[in-house]
Amino acid sequence: MSYLELKGVEKYYGDFHAIKGINLNIQKGEFVVFVGPSGCGKSTLLRMIAGLEEINGGDLVLDGNNITDTLPSKRDLAMVFQSYALYPHMTVEENMSFALRIAKEDPAVIKEKVEQAAAKLNLTDYLKRTPKELSGGQRQRVAIGRAIVRAPKVFLFDEPLSNLDAALRGQTRVEIAHLHRELNATSIYVTHDQVEAMTLADRVVVMQAGVIEQCGSPMELYERPANKFVAQFIGMPKMNLMPASMIAGQSDAAVEVGVRPEHFTLTAAGEGQMKGRVEMVEALGNETLIHIELEGSNEMVIVRQYEQTSVRPDEQVGINYDASQLHCFDAQGQAIR
Amino acid sequence: MSIKSKWTPSMIARTTAAWGIALLLFFPLIFMGITAFKTELQAIAVPSIWAFTPTLENFEVVNERSDYVQFAWNSVVTSVLSTVLGLAIAAPAAYSMAFAPTKGTNGLLLWMLSTKFMPAVGALLPIYVIFQQLGMLDTTAALVIIFTMMNLPIMVWMLFTYFKDIPQEILEAARMDGASVWDEFKHVLLPLGIGGLASTGLLCLVLAWNEAFWALNLGAAEAGTLATMMVSYSSPEGLFWAKLSAASLMAIAPIVVLGWFSQKQLVQGLTFGAVK
Repeated sequence: MSYLELKGVEKYYGDFHAIKGINLNIQKGEFVVFVGPSGCGKSTLLRMIAGLEEINGGDLVLDGNNITDTLPSKRDLAMVFQSYALYPHMTVEENMSFALRIAKEDPAVIKEKVEQAAAKLNLTDYLKRTPKELSGGQRQRVAIGRAIVRAPKVFLFDEPLSNLDAALRGQTRVEIAHLHRELNATSIYVTHDQVEAMTLADRVVVMQAGVIEQCGSPMELYERPANKFVAQFIGMPKMNLMPASMIAGQSDAAVEVGVRPEHFTLTAAGEGQMKGRVEMVEALGNETLIHIELEGSNEMVIVRQYEQTSVRPDEQVGINYDASQLHCFDAQGQAIR
Repeated sequence: MSIKSKWTPSMIARTTAAWGIALLLFFPLIFMGITAFKTELQAIAVPSIWAFTPTLENFEVVNERSDYVQFAWNSVVTSVLSTVLGLAIAAPAAYSMAFAPTKGTNGLLLWMLSTKFMPAVGALLPIYVIFQQLGMLDTTAALVIIFTMMNLPIMVWMLFTYFKDIPQEILEAARMDGASVWDEFKHVLLPLGIGGLASTGLLCLVLAWNEAFWALNLGAAEAGTLATMMVSYSSPEGLFWAKLSAASLMAIAPIVVLGWFSQKQLVQGLTFGAVK
């Protein structure tokens, strides 16, 4: 049996149907990431699990108990907010011990737990400071520490890295992954950043407009996207989409064919399965992205290669694709397997 | 020397102007303060006498003729109780409006403000009759109730603006940490909102203390506050300037002292949380 079960969960804001009957089972110890574009409902769904948003239909079951209408304070879940939401009038120590103090734990036990968590998060020297006196990264670690100290049933993360700069975001992401391995705690993590989703998740839930588009391991989503939306949402740069007519030997149902940039290879002009004109070359050092306008159509595709290239804009080139790595989509945008 | 060099002509002009305006505004109070120590004859002399031997006679007379301690006690009781009662009602109201607003919240806030648009005298008759029917005329309880109701819109508005400044996520974090509504209030909202609660309370204390209209109409004798005592010295038989001044000085003294020590909170409160 699953640890956390969402059974046909619904959310309405007036007439707006924000969450449309979500079914999802989360196992104990699993790290699940909700990802999707802005406004897809991922944060709303997380807040519904937290109890901060009312559930208008369906059931939420945690560890065998129906908690659909349980107060957030009684759910035994911990949440890390995007804005950190630390208590500004309390020290780091008081912030981290707040939940345990509310629960009237033994002060000696509280002290020990806070010290352990602080040591894990490199916060030992900052315990007496207030949030004001900390950097953004330190504040986020306190927010995580506040969650860890409680040993809750599930950790909820609401875009926890969005307020950090790029370098710190990468570092904190690694720390979160490390913590998860160490604590083996069930976690649900909301982000719009697919890198976070791919690197942290055991399972990624891709959402759009209040429904789950696909749910699977990061590599499953990358290699076998269920539909056009997932295919284009996961992967940077996006998967190239072309009319099926441009690629020979496709089934009749196929309307569009997708090829990931790394499954194209450049060849000399006049050779290859397709031809085109180089529009732009982005040399990123470790990889090169070559934007090509296909001949006979206005389709633009991106070719990724890991070697540097000598091709220049306006040059004619040939392109080969890896026929075993094609993704075909029908008129409804669903993948044809 | 270096201090002198900071005084540019424009600064001197501005400082002089500021002092001039301040003195002009403060002059009636100074004049009242001085008059309180004159005899009635000196008080009405034209032109005003500025050199005289100060006398405490007026204060003695005022204290004898009207029971200052009783009036002052009434003022303290009505203003403190109405402020405490008002905060107890306004804080939960402002909390729910700030953190769980509904479609009607804005309208409700505007409606509450609109009750202050009408001159109080417009509601005198019904309120007088209600208190009369309840047998509450000239009671401290009546004044506490009316002062509370008079100040509630301001209190709710002020607390609402203060609470609005507290990020909702902090309260949500407390809820996730297992805090009940009471814990949330005690450990998070109260410490974060104490400045707002204090300045709101202080302002309403002053407003209730200085209130004269309702105090006169609903409680002039037994329950009368210092404001009503003051008025009793401007009678149809003629003004007793020196005694009126002495009574006024005694009436405002406590609140002026309180205001002096809490000016920071008061100013903060009067800006309605806009300047922080």
